[in-house]
Amino acid sequence: MEFIDYYKILELDRSATQADVKKSYRKLARKYHPDLNPNDKDAQARFQQINEAHEVLSDPEKRKKYDQYGKDWKHAEQFENAQRQQGYQGGGYQGGFGGFGGGTQGSYSGSFDDDTFSDFFEQMFGGGRGRGGDSSRQAHFKGQDFNAELHVDLRDVYTSQKQTLTVNGKNIRLTIPAGVEHGQTIKIKGHGGPGIQGGPKGDLYITFNIINNTPFKREKENLYKTEEIDLYTALLGGEITAETFNGLVKLTVKPETQTGTKIKLKGKGFPKYKKEGQFGDLYITYKVTMPTNLSAKEKELFRELQKLRS
Amino acid sequence: MNLEEFVSTHELCERYRVEHTFIRSLSDSGLIEVVEISHQEYIHCDKLSEFEKMRRLHYDLEINVEGLEAIQHLLKQVEQLQKKNRQLRNRLNLYE
Repeated sequence: MEFIDYYKILELDRSATQADVKKSYRKLARKYHPDLNPNDKDAQARFQQINEAHEVLSDPEKRKKYDQYGKDWKHAEQFENAQRQQGYQGGGYQGGFGGFGGGTQGSYSGSFDDDTFSDFFEQMFGGGRGRGGDSSRQAHFKGQDFNAELHVDLRDVYTSQKQTLTVNGKNIRLTIPAGVEHGQTIKIKGHGGPGIQGGPKGDLYITFNIINNTPFKREKENLYKTEEIDLYTALLGGEITAETFNGLVKLTVKPETQTGTKIKLKGKGFPKYKKEGQFGDLYITYKVTMPTNLSAKEKELFRELQKLRS
Repeated sequence: MNLEEFVSTHELCERYRVEHTFIRSLSDSGLIEVVEISHQEYIHCDKLSEFEKMRRLHYDLEINVEGLEAIQHLLKQVEQLQKKNRQLRNRLNLYE
């Protein structure tokens, strides 16, 4: 556990007045408040640090303790015991670590997870965080929203699937709709934290991280794939068997097909999100492969063909 | 209309310790939809998180209603840009 420099976090020096602390806190809180930085985890982490720094520096007793021990905070308890044995009566607080319960002023509220304080804070000031100020304003009605990330394979989101997730120790059964996109967030209503004073539960937000280990590339409901065809099929035409997402299909290759030729297989793409029975298209790009290790006879024949063209 | 899905503005004021004028000004500026049922004003449960956000920004960060309007507008733009960014990133995968 490392020492945290609360002055540095609030961009202050140690001589800062309470007014300076408040001013800096307000300025930084406006910059990093999670409501103003949606989906920005860095901003949220920074906001928590700022809140924690404010919690300490805006409370004269906590600040005094923090200033007194500074980087030697790990040895604070030993110092205190020694001082007690020497009959030291000063300090203005009682009970050593964890003894603080008093409120500070004006910590910002939020439905986001802003109650997570660092181990350093918990160790130095105990778990009893004083959320002071106008405590009545902290009375949340709706429960806290939860955020989770779900890693799934592309093949798993080809069809709607029922899955059981464990969120905060609770099993939640949910249906993952077919066609959900990479990075998409869906809301599961009422599966967040419990409401306060009979209020509704918060919501659960799940962001999908879709891993694609298939030969297909996907853009929304359309799929893209490159299919290799040999020179002779490309020149003379023929039939090939190609893989689609849900099975094999036979394709007729037209004579004189060029490399890069794109064909569309209608309805052979990915399911459209929340449009049951509707599918995107599969685009196949042909790549003509050249024969290698030609025999003497083949070379001779190709030269003859070349002569015919020149 | 299922009344259980609505919270009265009176209850909101009581529970969140906010003035009714605050809810009225949010409604007037179109930030929160307030509906009137039997001479009583309500907001829908689905809008509670939005209301809570406005309350936090107003009381915690001391942003006035005009500021909230601007923030709401910009946050919508951020949301659209994030969505566009996600779509473009997914599209970029086609060429990688």
